[in-house]
Amino acid sequence: MAKKEEPVTRETVDRLCVLADLPLAADRRGKLAAPLAGLVAAANELSRKMAEGSRRGVLPITRFPEL
Amino acid sequence: MAHADLLNLTIAQAAPKLERRELSPVELTEAMLARIAAVNKRLNAYITVCDQQAREAAQAVERLIRAGYYLGPLHGIPIALKDNIYTRGIRTTAGAKILADFVPDEDATVTARLKRAGAIIVGKANMHEFAWGGTTDNPHYGTCRNPWNPERFPAGSSGGSGAAVAARTCLGALGTDTGGSIRLPSAVNGIVGIRPTIGRVSNYNVVPLAWTMDTVSPMTRTVEDCLTMFEVVAGHDPLDAHSAQVPVADYRAELGRGMRGLRIGLIRDYSLTHVQKAVGDAVRSALKTMERLGAQVEEIAMPSIHGNISAQLTIESCEPSTYHQEWLRARPQDYGEDVRTLLEMGEMYLATHYLQAQRYRSVLRKEFLAGFKQVDVFVTPTLPFTATPCGATEVVIENDRKEDMLSAIMQFTGVPSLAGLPALSLPVGFDPDGMPVGMQIIGRPFDEGTLFRIGHAYQGETDWHTRAPKL
Repeated sequence: MAKKEEPVTRETVDRLCVLADLPLAADRRGKLAAPLAGLVAAANELSRKMAEGSRRGVLPITRFPEL
Repeated sequence: MAHADLLNLTIAQAAPKLERRELSPVELTEAMLARIAAVNKRLNAYITVCDQQAREAAQAVERLIRAGYYLGPLHGIPIALKDNIYTRGIRTTAGAKILADFVPDEDATVTARLKRAGAIIVGKANMHEFAWGGTTDNPHYGTCRNPWNPERFPAGSSGGSGAAVAARTCLGALGTDTGGSIRLPSAVNGIVGIRPTIGRVSNYNVVPLAWTMDTVSPMTRTVEDCLTMFEVVAGHDPLDAHSAQVPVADYRAELGRGMRGLRIGLIRDYSLTHVQKAVGDAVRSALKTMERLGAQVEEIAMPSIHGNISAQLTIESCEPSTYHQEWLRARPQDYGEDVRTLLEMGEMYLATHYLQAQRYRSVLRKEFLAGFKQVDVFVTPTLPFTATPCGATEVVIENDRKEDMLSAIMQFTGVPSLAGLPALSLPVGFDPDGMPVGMQIIGRPFDEGTLFRIGHAYQGETDWHTRAPKL
């Protein structure tokens, strides 16, 4: 069963800014939490699907085979 | 020729007149420059109009024709280039304040190839800042507007190229397409645009958005004109590390083969799902036309199709944020608010999110390649809605529910981008407000020829592409 998402909060954004060495002003950090929550939730859902055992052998595409 | 007649010429119509010297490149270029002067204040389709360079180029290519050197069907043809494509000696802003004074000292490979073919660059087209967005609501160079109704958006990010072609200010343009940026403006401006197979057209000296998905390609009024520009820009480029070593096909040989025997796939619970009524009606009608011409339509299941929007947003967030990392720290105030926010958020994904999205591409591509054993192409609408009002950030597709524009606009175009497949958008009708509807045809890797074949046959039976906006 999928784990319930923790919402991305202002504090989450603060921590991510430190991790990314991205010095954002307080007003900007406040603006990011809500839209980022939606993006991260969708990315986590895709990650869960891609992490399934049946897909363990799938390689990432960063360059197309024809090249 | 009368001014109005010149404006409505297609490349296929103008080229033989230029070759036979019934029409001069100078006359045609002057007509386009006059048209730009007449409509660009209303549309904002161009960031830079290259009056002087265009006149000089027109005179030069005219001298060649007079001397008996005809270079081919783009000789003397006025075109526009999206402003993220390098032009030697002409500023290339990528729609950004950060590059407002950037004047490249060399051309992009595609620019050089078009110049060698005799094309005349009349201007650099407006675009969404750094190509990161789908509206061309540009805070630095002004909002680009749709010629069919200047209160509506031209989509993006190649919105200027789309508006410029539809408004008859040039006979063709180049755009760039990462997640839909050629096909979306082609659809809402009622013109044709193709996203090539990744690696088919060089990205050298084109300001990148997302390296693993970026492409460059033409936007025109007819499929035949699109092919004419495509066969000039397509082909291996040793200067581009991602350029494919695959021979360029004889695309022109596909024209005139008709649609008989072709198998067209609809993706179950996807191709005609969650679209505005007018969009669904127009695409269904186009499918009927294609069946009447001898194609067979069948439904194919594609179980992984619905992860596409998240995968696209993840990749299109992480890769641009990597490219912009230094500028975002040094000059954050020089970005528009929407692009700055997207770039900031792109730094906050996990590496696993990005890699899972890239792994998703493998799954999606495998399902498409399996599907291509049953059908020759897949069809979807290009986008699920018609042009929205300029400045809108939300859109209603069905049931009066407002949706975020950026996610909604990617519903169909992101799929071939992720799978590395070519896709053509062409006009298939209008909504009750008179705004164009586009249909997307997705092909096998490096099979752009079949897309041109189908599109040309369809345009032989319909007149959507001949209609012009009243400006």
